[in-house]
Amino acid sequence: MLSEGVKRELVKIAGKGFVSFEKEDIVSYSYDATNRMHPPDAVVFPAGSEEISRILKVANLEGFPVTPRGAGTGFSGGSLPVKGGVVISSERMKNIREIDTENFTAEVEPGVITGDFQAEAERLGLFYPPDPTSLKFSTIGGNIAECSGGPRAIKYGVTRDYVLGLTVVVPTGEIITTGVKKTMKGVVGYDLTRLIVGSEGTLGFVTGAYLKLLPLPPAIRTMLAEFASLEDAARASSEIIREKIIPSTLELIDSVCLRCVEQYAKMGISSAVSAVLLIEVDGKGEILGKDCEDIREISMRNGAMRFKVAENKNEAKDIWKVRRAISPSLSRIKPTKLNEDVVVPRSKIVELIKGIKGIAEKRGVIIASFGHAGDGNIHVNVMVDRKNAGEFRRGEDAVKDIFELTLSLGGTISGEHGVGISKSPYLNMELSVQTIEAMMRIKRAFDPNGIMNPGKIFRMEHV
Amino acid sequence: MEGLENYIEVSERCVRCGICKSVCPTYDVVRRENSGPRGRLSIIEARFKGEEGFKEAYLKSVRECTLCGACFGSCPNGVNIPELILAARNEIVDREGMSFGESLVFRNFLNTEKFMPLMLRFASKLQGLIFKGTSVESGLLSRFSVPFVGGGRLVPELSDIFFLDRPHIKELSSGKGRKKGTGRVGFYVGCGINYFLPDIGEATLKALGESGADVIIPQGQVCCGMPIFSAGDRGTAKKLAQKNLEAFEETDLDYIVTSCATCGHGLRNVFKELLSGESPELKARVEKFSSKVRDITELLTRDLPYKAAPKGSNRNTVVTYHDPCHLRRYQGITEEPRKLILDSGFTYRGLKHPCRCCGLGGGLGFSNYELSMDIAMKKAEDVKNTGADVVATACPGCIIQLKDALHKLGVTAKVSHVVELL
Repeated sequence: MLSEGVKRELVKIAGKGFVSFEKEDIVSYSYDATNRMHPPDAVVFPAGSEEISRILKVANLEGFPVTPRGAGTGFSGGSLPVKGGVVISSERMKNIREIDTENFTAEVEPGVITGDFQAEAERLGLFYPPDPTSLKFSTIGGNIAECSGGPRAIKYGVTRDYVLGLTVVVPTGEIITTGVKKTMKGVVGYDLTRLIVGSEGTLGFVTGAYLKLLPLPPAIRTMLAEFASLEDAARASSEIIREKIIPSTLELIDSVCLRCVEQYAKMGISSAVSAVLLIEVDGKGEILGKDCEDIREISMRNGAMRFKVAENKNEAKDIWKVRRAISPSLSRIKPTKLNEDVVVPRSKIVELIKGIKGIAEKRGVIIASFGHAGDGNIHVNVMVDRKNAGEFRRGEDAVKDIFELTLSLGGTISGEHGVGISKSPYLNMELSVQTIEAMMRIKRAFDPNGIMNPGKIFRMEHV
Repeated sequence: MEGLENYIEVSERCVRCGICKSVCPTYDVVRRENSGPRGRLSIIEARFKGEEGFKEAYLKSVRECTLCGACFGSCPNGVNIPELILAARNEIVDREGMSFGESLVFRNFLNTEKFMPLMLRFASKLQGLIFKGTSVESGLLSRFSVPFVGGGRLVPELSDIFFLDRPHIKELSSGKGRKKGTGRVGFYVGCGINYFLPDIGEATLKALGESGADVIIPQGQVCCGMPIFSAGDRGTAKKLAQKNLEAFEETDLDYIVTSCATCGHGLRNVFKELLSGESPELKARVEKFSSKVRDITELLTRDLPYKAAPKGSNRNTVVTYHDPCHLRRYQGITEEPRKLILDSGFTYRGLKHPCRCCGLGGGLGFSNYELSMDIAMKKAEDVKNTGADVVATACPGCIIQLKDALHKLGVTAKVSHVVELL
């Protein structure tokens, strides 16, 4: 609970109309895409760094927690105010300050919707590659906090690869800048940019970002390869990479997903098909034809039943429809989706897929897998019903099995969603006590009073 | 309120992914969770589950939705958020009654078939006192702020003689007496056309005449009830639906046509929702009625032997098209109006966001004119960027709103109903 004095102070800082203690805002700023609810005591909508700085100073003085929030669309609970306190929303900081068409850089505020920024860059012939599936509604600030990635990561990398520098209000209230603004290089001092990107809002509030852009690839070709077995598809995907072709998208879809899609969306995929690969290559038009031919050959060699290259934009759209129909169809198998985003080395995809099949049988749950085969990042969805306690527990056990399998294959338990509260119970499966302690020392250096997004990533029982 | 648990079941399918925010016209402008579908759903769900402490902000959030339906269309789990919002509005009206303003406009003006025409006839004589004429083809600019009409708002001029009062329309109250199966078409006029935009009614008649239809315009028709239904008063909406049902039942019609997207959604979908539960007999009647309802663009392109004739000079006119939410999302009609524009030989240039709401719907034009206009201005910018000479649409509400927004932006593009271009 906030004292009357703190409430008055917040209104003084942000201005009337930009601080809310009303029930309506308490409810609607209590959740994110994890679908859990943790009501804050207040929501503040600051205009920028100065106001946030003053709020954080009060928070240190009075000892209330502060949770940064972008669009509230994360899958690990990064924006949930699990200890109450104040939610700081970036919704008012929504300007693209500059797109520099000479240096291929941009300066944006954290509340800019990623998709809007991409569209604006594309209008100028430039390209901001990170493409989390939520790009149409998630914010750059949130993407930076979680270091989001997407299908294009295989060729273009993830958010961290495009952040040149940041303006950050650190938990003690100082406004700092990290990295560079418009240069492609810079090694002056510690690389705090990389530390902040992916820190899940525990080390500060990002109020500005300098981003790197690329020239927009002039052409894209979209392909769909159908396989009779998941292993064949996974093998083909590994071989494409081994042959040194780097597609801009290489997505794998398993039979659970395909049957769902077929049942609910009627995409015309034969029941003999057990897996498909959705592949895209981009670049100069003349080279792409050769890439398509090579990928076709590799697919056929690995037992593809059918291979299709989209002739035009509409056909490409139809191919993507299959991929986009997965999420809507899945939710109809079971109401609760334990949505994990494990990553293994690309050469281990086949083993991961086989192992998951075994786990599903052992635990007696349905597991649907799809995702970014190209970079080893598979979305593993354990489908259960939260209201069925036994099934839910078996689902959670399956999740733990999947993490163990992933780590045994040299992988990591989260590729793009972050730890937050969803994965914090499992942090010590991947990280040693020494590593966790080193991270916590950094946290304490930035946030001695522990006011910034408390309750995330770390658990006391792990150290 | 009855059946609250059904609505909780609907809201519980929401997984809070947030995709709906990306298509919501009010969230786009306001950027507050409560001004978007996910926030609205969350507070409605909390209230329906019995949580307390909701006040003004709740009413504001629930009222300030255009009911455009874009969120429902985007939802991977098929959560019908507009339905929830209507239930919440209904619950507010049941508990607290309507606000004075809504009640004045919706209950009194639009409710009875006698009172409204009388009031509006009176108003049509007085409008010069409050409004001044503009250079815009038809429209009045309010001289000062009056209830529901902010200062500087461009409102449509009331027609001198309402469409349904015109002698040649009255003559059509029983048609030419042709038999069913020979293109007997009942014309449901609707308030927008009757009081403000009668030219659309005349253009509709002309096109129907060219298609060889036998047109009947029953005088017993009243407001479709959509404004009051959207405001949450199902009881009054039900009465209006029943009156309209009776008016169009007397004659044995092949089709019932409307040139208003909103009325069309009402006649076709909402009437069934309102009346089906009353009795099996009424259910059968309303289903028969609703199955005959067609939008004018649909009737001309699909059901009647009509072919739009290209005029030579049309090629030089650039036309764009705005999809009314009630036509596209609630009736699935997208290609038909475009086909009529193309068949007429116009040069067509599409909007960047043709199906983004104009901002008037769901009562937003009344509950928050400023927000409604902020949304409309985005549409006006979109129109401006096409460089079109004419923006065509198929809903009198959208037309009134677009005229206002284009006037504010200083864009000279003409706003027309598709049927007026034929």
